[in-house]
Amino acid sequence: MSAMLTIAKREFRSYFDSPLAYVVICLSFFALGLMYFMLNGGFWQADRSSIERLFEYAPMGLSFLVVPVVTMRLIAEERRSGTLEMLITLPVKDSDVVLGKYLGALGLVMVLVVATLVYPIGMFKVPWNLGPLDTGPVLSGYIGLILFSAAAVSIGLLVSSFAESQAVAFFITFFVLAALWFFDNAAQSLSASGGGFASFLAAVLQYVSFQTRLGGFWRGLIDSRDVIFFLSVTVLALFVAFRALERRKWA
Amino acid sequence: MSTDVMIQASGLSKRFGAARALDKVSFEVRRGEVVGFLGPNGAGKSTTMRILTCFISPTAGLAKVNGYDVFDDPLQVRNALGYLPQRAPLYTDMTVYDYLKFVAQIRGLDESKFKGRLKKVVEVCGLAQSLGKDIGTLSHGYRQRVGLGQALIHDPPILILDEPTSDLDPNEKAELLKYIKEMGKDRTILLSTHNLAEVEEACGRAIIVSKGRVVADGALDDIRGKTGRVRYVVTIDEKRAEAGNKPPTASAVEEAFRRLPGVRSVKTLASDEKAFKVELVGAQDSDLRAEIFRAVVAQGWTLLELRRDAQSLDAVFRDLTRGDEKLDRGADWKDEAEPDDEDESEDDEDDSEDDEDDEDDEDDEDASKGAPERKA
Repeated sequence: MSAMLTIAKREFRSYFDSPLAYVVICLSFFALGLMYFMLNGGFWQADRSSIERLFEYAPMGLSFLVVPVVTMRLIAEERRSGTLEMLITLPVKDSDVVLGKYLGALGLVMVLVVATLVYPIGMFKVPWNLGPLDTGPVLSGYIGLILFSAAAVSIGLLVSSFAESQAVAFFITFFVLAALWFFDNAAQSLSASGGGFASFLAAVLQYVSFQTRLGGFWRGLIDSRDVIFFLSVTVLALFVAFRALERRKWA
Repeated sequence: MSTDVMIQASGLSKRFGAARALDKVSFEVRRGEVVGFLGPNGAGKSTTMRILTCFISPTAGLAKVNGYDVFDDPLQVRNALGYLPQRAPLYTDMTVYDYLKFVAQIRGLDESKFKGRLKKVVEVCGLAQSLGKDIGTLSHGYRQRVGLGQALIHDPPILILDEPTSDLDPNEKAELLKYIKEMGKDRTILLSTHNLAEVEEACGRAIIVSKGRVVADGALDDIRGKTGRVRYVVTIDEKRAEAGNKPPTASAVEEAFRRLPGVRSVKTLASDEKAFKVELVGAQDSDLRAEIFRAVVAQGWTLLELRRDAQSLDAVFRDLTRGDEKLDRGADWKDEAEPDDEDESEDDEDDSEDDEDDEDDEDDEDASKGAPERKA
């Protein structure tokens, strides 16, 4: 347990030893701000005291930029540089290595998620008060965002544990998360076209789409099916990553 | 030396796909031994060490470290071990202090114990000046020291060092070997290298592997005697000769020695003096010095130097592992077997020829045949 936390701590700290963490944090906040205030007319056009837009755009930033960058090196880079051998031959369980790295990366993503609190607080409490904010959907939105982050980071870790280099890990993670996000849009156009198989496929895509799963949280609805979905994805991805790490023994 | 076996490998085999990296490697290392693990590149040294440190699993066979099975109790095995992998892969973004602390924390050392050990490790590895530096800014030599430091931080009874002296300059090498010798007094150390001088300096015993097999295992002197030869170096003045005799020529010198009974081969060595320097090889336990001296006197030449030494470990190493290199270069090993190995070493040579053939067949046939391992 303590070995796992030591690994997580080292992983988390190492993000701040390189410019990467700072670049990612700044870029993603800039992008989120742009999308929040400018895209589709921006926040002002909606004319409601709601930060639903935040929960809509934040997962996209996480999927397309933050999570791929943060997770790409986790295991791929350690394997390439040989430090994995050093780490694993310390008295740690493989599961400690996987979980430690997972928590370290999730920690950084959580820093970002927590930092977005500046939107609801800054706009609706101090220094500005733009109207009465319904706290229910904000709370559920954050729960959804956290669950989504947990699943996305575990997928990134899984990809990194298979990939030969961090560049490969970045692109695969990017595409997997993008696909899981846009499955919802694909499903909508599929069901519009009609047909037995098309609607079946649409249902499947809708079922696994992160966007669909998050929709309820944005509106203040915490559905246990969605919670279990994200948790299952997380556990499954971590388990497969653990197996991938063990694979070195027999390859 | 007590009889406790600290590292035990029996019948270790490892395949990577179709390639056989290890083939029934067996050896034991006891408490207080410093053992050199020798072999050409790709002979299976690192693979063996990775199995012993539970990084990879053997395809077949059994390995125990400190009494624990590497498969069943990997954590106990790793607790008892200090391991320095090849080229000391370290987190380059950490400072030396942070890195050592990280390792100590994972190893469960508490703060006071860490402080105490850190002092010792800094002293042994010479890290006082670099504790606050980023590992990424250190030279290879210093990284190697940090690698050694992390292997020693928990005061392990067993050390496994994979080519610890590569990348070091001669001074650093000498110093490191001195420490290894010192540490070896109360520790068990398995040290891989392909530098034989290091083994002669630091180790009491050597295990030589070649193509995934143990080809020699024993005290250095035993291994030296393994190919059954003694070397003589004779230097003869090029110009001067007894009155009435002609000064020698290179071919006359070689010819004169070749005629001596008991001499198996004669080779002229490079010499910077105005002298002929030749190397003679005689059978083990023979002493041809008197005959050589008389032969020189009989010719009326001037003998400048005559030295007899047991064959250098270097030559033994080349003898025992030369099949590798020739196969790699695409030569038919059998055709090139040297003609001067015909007496007692002939059996040995035949064995290894069989081995090479089996290797080509790439099947398990030789397993049932029990291809002979040349062990001391």
